[in-house]
Amino acid sequence: MGHNDSGGSEKKSSESANDIQTFNAENLQSNMKVIYYSRTFLAIISGVIAGILGFTGLTGFIFYVLIMAITSLGLVAKAKFSVHSYFDSWNRIILDGFFGGLMSFVLFWTFAYDIVHIF
Amino acid sequence: MGLGFVIGAFGVMILAHAAYTTIQYRGLLKIMEEEFSGPPMNVVVELLLGLVLCMWAALTVPGKFLSIHPHSDENRIVSLPANMDFMIFNHRGKAFPSGMDMKLKH
Repeated sequence: MGHNDSGGSEKKSSESANDIQTFNAENLQSNMKVIYYSRTFLAIISGVIAGILGFTGLTGFIFYVLIMAITSLGLVAKAKFSVHSYFDSWNRIILDGFFGGLMSFVLFWTFAYDIVHIF
Repeated sequence: MGLGFVIGAFGVMILAHAAYTTIQYRGLLKIMEEEFSGPPMNVVVELLLGLVLCMWAALTVPGKFLSIHPHSDENRIVSLPANMDFMIFNHRGKAFPSGMDMKLKH
């Protein structure tokens, strides 16, 4: 039953992908905003954690990439694994907000590291 | 929404406590004149717990995803007026173009 269900939704999404691309732009904007909020908040939190753990150099950036990968996974799970019914491409859910979050990450990483380990 | 926010605030408080514990640990190391090699175990556990709670909050608080397909169930006209029995279609108003546009949900 569950298998049938998923097959049906998959077929529907591929059909609509082949059709003329008409999207509800307002809802797409709202979804992008949700993703942006999630990523910014988690970039700040991961920056604080990296600072407390005392990461320096490349380790911190690897940590950031790891956290963002987990976030992407969580967002895909939040979209109930049918990305194309909420976004027009995979890049939206995987890459969007990555570099903006990196700036917040570095800021809070150095901030937490300074407070915990230097002062 | 409210629950997610409370969970996120709790996660941030746990992170703050972990930071405070690490500061104290470093003070202890300074007294014992040892080098800092890594945070103690309970700090790592606290950080993991805080990360999980904050991730929960980050995924639930900002709102739900809305479907972008114009013909999906969520974007349809959801409700007709309740008093259908009293609607009259064959009246003089049909001579005029109707400016009626049904509101879509959201």
